[in-house]
Amino acid sequence: MKIKMINYLKKLIVLFFLLIPNNLSADFFEDITSQIVENPKRLSYGVSVTDVNQDGNFDFIVTGFGYLNLALSYENGKLVNIVNQKKFSDEFRRTIGVAACDIDRDGYEEIYFLNTDTYSGTKKYSDRLIDLEKGKFIDLFEIEKNQKDLNLTAGRSVVCVDRKGDGNYGVYVANYGGPTRYYEYNDDILVDKSVQLNLAKVTGGRAVVAGHIISDKIDVFAANERGANFLYKNDKGKFLDVAYEYRVQDVLQNGRGTALSDIYYRGRLDILNGNWGGFHRAYVLKNDIFEDIAKPPFDEPSRIRTVISADLDNDGYDEVFLNNIGEPNKLFKILENGLIKQIPLDVGLEPDGYGTGAAVADIDNDGVLELLVSHGESWDQPLSLYRAKVDPDNKYLRIKPLNQYGAPARGATVTLISNLRKHSKTIDSGSGYLCQMEPVAHYGIRKNEKDIKIQIKWTNGKTKTISVKELNQTIILNQ
Amino acid sequence: MNFSKSIFKFVIIFILTLSFSNISNSVEKNYYKDLITDWSRIFPDSNRNAAGPKFFKYIIDKDINYDDFIEYNKLYCAVSGSLIDPNSEPDFLFVNERETKKKICGDYYKCCIPCSCDIMKYSEVEKMKHKFEDGFKEFFVFTIKNPCGKKDFPDRVNKNYFCNGDKINDKQVYELNGRIVIGLLHNGKICTKDEMDFVKSHQVTGRFCELRNNTPIENLNAGMGDIFIKLAR
Repeated sequence: MKIKMINYLKKLIVLFFLLIPNNLSADFFEDITSQIVENPKRLSYGVSVTDVNQDGNFDFIVTGFGYLNLALSYENGKLVNIVNQKKFSDEFRRTIGVAACDIDRDGYEEIYFLNTDTYSGTKKYSDRLIDLEKGKFIDLFEIEKNQKDLNLTAGRSVVCVDRKGDGNYGVYVANYGGPTRYYEYNDDILVDKSVQLNLAKVTGGRAVVAGHIISDKIDVFAANERGANFLYKNDKGKFLDVAYEYRVQDVLQNGRGTALSDIYYRGRLDILNGNWGGFHRAYVLKNDIFEDIAKPPFDEPSRIRTVISADLDNDGYDEVFLNNIGEPNKLFKILENGLIKQIPLDVGLEPDGYGTGAAVADIDNDGVLELLVSHGESWDQPLSLYRAKVDPDNKYLRIKPLNQYGAPARGATVTLISNLRKHSKTIDSGSGYLCQMEPVAHYGIRKNEKDIKIQIKWTNGKTKTISVKELNQTIILNQ
Repeated sequence: MNFSKSIFKFVIIFILTLSFSNISNSVEKNYYKDLITDWSRIFPDSNRNAAGPKFFKYIIDKDINYDDFIEYNKLYCAVSGSLIDPNSEPDFLFVNERETKKKICGDYYKCCIPCSCDIMKYSEVEKMKHKFEDGFKEFFVFTIKNPCGKKDFPDRVNKNYFCNGDKINDKQVYELNGRIVIGLLHNGKICTKDEMDFVKSHQVTGRFCELRNNTPIENLNAGMGDIFIKLAR
């Protein structure tokens, strides 16, 4: 009797140690907000990552709504605002959306600031398209030849689209209460091509992402409010809305944070889509239909803003960060077979945080992603900066594709192929909601992972594969 | 010893529950989410006016068990076609059974108060039998007469949903004995006298409905219910 009891107790103890740690893990993040020099309360919105000052390093751009737009650069262990020029900083036009890409094909990215001084419909001030010329930031929309098609409609997110796969980027502008805009250089003049590309629909535009979603060219998914989502299939550089056919219209939900993510680790990009006060979706393509495989607690309604999918702790599995406004943030890890497991948060929970934007980048070049969270809207709050507590044994691999002009190949898809997975990541064109991540595919390496190859699918659909012998490095792939 | 085994089992179940409670692969059904997700498939043109029958048809065509069928049918309004918040409370009411004219009492999940009145006046219930995953079940459904020959078919309702010419479009809605099924009467059964008295004296199904149902239709200005009345009268 006594021996049997002891055996039972032993089994219980083993089970306890096997199972309970799921719920009792240590803090995932450490708070490194103190690295931000001068971090006052402010109303911020979208965050982007690009090389603002063209020094070869990425910087965070943080938009300001009645506050300065910031360019936070990593210098001597601190994040410091490095831009104080009116055209860029511009606290009067109320910027909320931001995305960067090389629109003029000079190898450097221009920055699209979406300004919105009203909730919906006609606005007073147009957007800015910022270019750096000889150390001076200029607004390309202020040049007379580019003023024919200014965007004077309230909007939210912007995304860069290399629709023809030739490195000639345009910008899709998700407007609210007015037609979508699509800006692109045509004979050296910035014009709106939304009508001829079949994009000029009126909706409550919220989030937008672009990448290899359903074709070998750059497709666009737009999560909308008070109307159906759009899924634009690239048809020889023009677009065809196939949201109904692919079952992602989601008419009754109000779209917010959206990101492309390889949810099944099967070598293709699927869609994570947060809905304001509604069910968050994990759309995976099955037989030409997107099936929502999200289950509680991931799909539970929240006041969602930004959605980010990235491997924050370098374990080879992507986390999904749900940045909520006015309620606690959530963090999940995508396991095998579409299982999405919640990671308890303490640091980064921000129960009183008014999150409005967020982006990831390895801003200090140490092989671990930093997560910058902006706040605002109805409560001025400082920025937050987090970094995952990473097992020092974890390794990483960073892939930075550059297109034929030497600019970040935003929209390209990188796939890590190994004995354990086939894992695709987009070179971010704009995502999250109002935001844009660094143009690098960041992979943590799994335990016992070997035979690693990297496949790049460029924006024109062509692919190239290389073998990787060394880890803990950033590989630059040139088109 | 049996006691120890029981404790052991309990602890294992407890630990497993704790362990997997934060994993997003729960098999718990979310009926409301299903309807929201498939809304575009149910209403491709986004017109759900008076389209409770579309919901019923969509639900009964699913491969589900009887319990699922019941839960889904709590989430739309048979009169207006709008979704109903989960955990909404039904109205207890009665409707005439078509053949016998007996009063059948039961629960009706509505989106608005006038809908209860409209369904009491303009629909009849019939008993229906259907094979679910867990076998044949019998239940009462609300039906309206075939509206397809109406010259004044309400223009805010998508006629193609209901009709194929003058006939009921049984690919889009469920036809029962030449009538259109618009929804489910939950827990339906022949009324007792006490139940009839309860319905008649209730502030909604009694006093309010008496007022509404004696108001000429041209004087009604209460949204979707009026469209339904034009369809069902």
